[in-house]
Amino acid sequence: MEVLRLPLSASQKGKLISAGYTSIASISSTSPSHLALELKVSENEALEILKNVSDGSRLKRTSSSLTVLNGAQSAWDMLQEEETTRVHITTSCADLDSILGGGISCKEVTEIGGVPGIGKTQLGIQLAVNVQIPYDYGGIGGKAIYIDTEGSFMAERALQIAEACSHDMAEYSRLYHKGPQACEVKTMQPKDFLENIFYFRVCSYTEQIALTNYLDEFIPKHKDVKVVIIDSITFHFRQDFDDMALRTRVLGGIALNLMKLARKFGVAVVLLNQVTTKYSDGSFHLALALGDSWSHASTNRIILHWNGDERYAYIDKSPSLRSASAPYSVTPKGIRNSSSNNKRIKHI
Amino acid sequence: MGALKYLTVKYASIDADFLQFCASHGIFSVEDFLVHDVYVLVASAEKLSNSDRLKQGINQLLSIIETLHQPWVNGLVLLEDREQNKHCLSTGGKSFDMLLQGGLRVGHVTEFVGPSSSGKTQICFQVASNVAMKLGSVVFIDSGNSFSPTRIKQIVTRISGSVENRVHGILQQAMRNIECHAVFDVYALLNVLHQLKSSLESQAGYKARLIVVDSISSLIAPILGGSNAQGYALMVSVGYLLKKLADRHNIAVLVSYLTFCCLLAGSI
Repeated sequence: MEVLRLPLSASQKGKLISAGYTSIASISSTSPSHLALELKVSENEALEILKNVSDGSRLKRTSSSLTVLNGAQSAWDMLQEEETTRVHITTSCADLDSILGGGISCKEVTEIGGVPGIGKTQLGIQLAVNVQIPYDYGGIGGKAIYIDTEGSFMAERALQIAEACSHDMAEYSRLYHKGPQACEVKTMQPKDFLENIFYFRVCSYTEQIALTNYLDEFIPKHKDVKVVIIDSITFHFRQDFDDMALRTRVLGGIALNLMKLARKFGVAVVLLNQVTTKYSDGSFHLALALGDSWSHASTNRIILHWNGDERYAYIDKSPSLRSASAPYSVTPKGIRNSSSNNKRIKHI
Repeated sequence: MGALKYLTVKYASIDADFLQFCASHGIFSVEDFLVHDVYVLVASAEKLSNSDRLKQGINQLLSIIETLHQPWVNGLVLLEDREQNKHCLSTGGKSFDMLLQGGLRVGHVTEFVGPSSSGKTQICFQVASNVAMKLGSVVFIDSGNSFSPTRIKQIVTRISGSVENRVHGILQQAMRNIECHAVFDVYALLNVLHQLKSSLESQAGYKARLIVVDSISSLIAPILGGSNAQGYALMVSVGYLLKKLADRHNIAVLVSYLTFCCLLAGSI
């Protein structure tokens, strides 16, 4: 039954099959008014059905005699593309950047999870600021979308991090661009940084799903957006969900949507996740929330944890990065390299 | 095939009289014709004046149907086919080859199942690189944004065993053999497979040796369950299509599947 593979609703497919249309060829050879009469639907609906059919078959007819199918890329072309245009968003911590191969890469979905207080939101805000660093300073000059589900984004903290960033950029330009060149290089004010972060606050899981779908229209209108940060993708899915099967389906749909966004628009998608306790082999250990089925949603997975008094980031899953771990610290200026005096305050 | 009236355009012997004759027996589509007793139909056609034309029409329909179904084969033909066409493709790893008794069998769908981070994507990369380097072209269908050209380059370099700077020619050839499709829903997957099928059937030069679907579970999980009954039908049609491609066109198919434990009420 070829009709089954068309993206139509179940009732439409049922009507097509009972009217005797079981192959694509038989549908495409009829006119819309004829189809409308046969299926007893409105002519608009018949037109829509025919459009779906012709979209699918057009793909077949236009495939050239080359060895590559429509819509595919050979691995060699992808490698050339990657080697020449790969962009990374720096995390401002040299150790972390080196294990990530330069930083958070665009076109991929990176999931970052950890216990509360380890610095996930700090890292999210740092990335939202760092994506805006202009080309001249080694950044990618883009804008950021910050989707906040927990209400943990603080504009004052973002301002503080932006001030530190623009201070660093000014110092860099002073040291490396001496002479008349220094005047031409643009410096960004902290206010400009905040202006380029698009902030969305979602309060329920339906809003979250709606927003993920809306991004498909929003991003083409704002072509400079290079990173989408979802602060705590888990928050609305952990409580009030009676139907677990529904949750898995919904999460699966969201995951595919986000991956499509990353691939289609070349943006980096960063998901911040919480942790839960898992019981296996007679012991309890910490694992990322949302279950094993969610582990498929991201390209790379980074787990943040405490090691003694220092914060560490560990690459848990990645198709191309080596499994490694790096220390980092959270300072008043944002995320920076770890040094011995930035430790966790001991509670007595 | 649908309604009989669409055949009037192509076949001259199926004309308006024939259609009327069929309608008088309650036959409006090819399915009805198949269900009906052909001898009874022929006998009643004899009684009418234009019996020759009608019998021509019936024979025409039977010959159309004949071309649509698979021909009957006997065991000897199958054995020959198995010895000549259905070899094993080496996976590139000795222990895997031993486990699979030679490698991935052409004509079969082999499924790798495991929890997250167990190495499924790496196996897919390894097998794809091995086949691309030694045997022929590979179609890699990636549903999780995890296809990484740099990693493939590393694997090919290691398999070829040659020095960094001399591996360029082999690398280019091997990587040109791998086509990567990014699919994000099951309809896109079905489209790609159908396109592949029609290219294999129509173009003489186009040949594929291996199809890899990295993580078919993420495409099928969102459509199963709930009030949507189509999910199971779509899943079965994907499986059927993969097996058909594997058998008819002598391709090995490798599918990876993510397992996860059932979600109980307490374990969020």
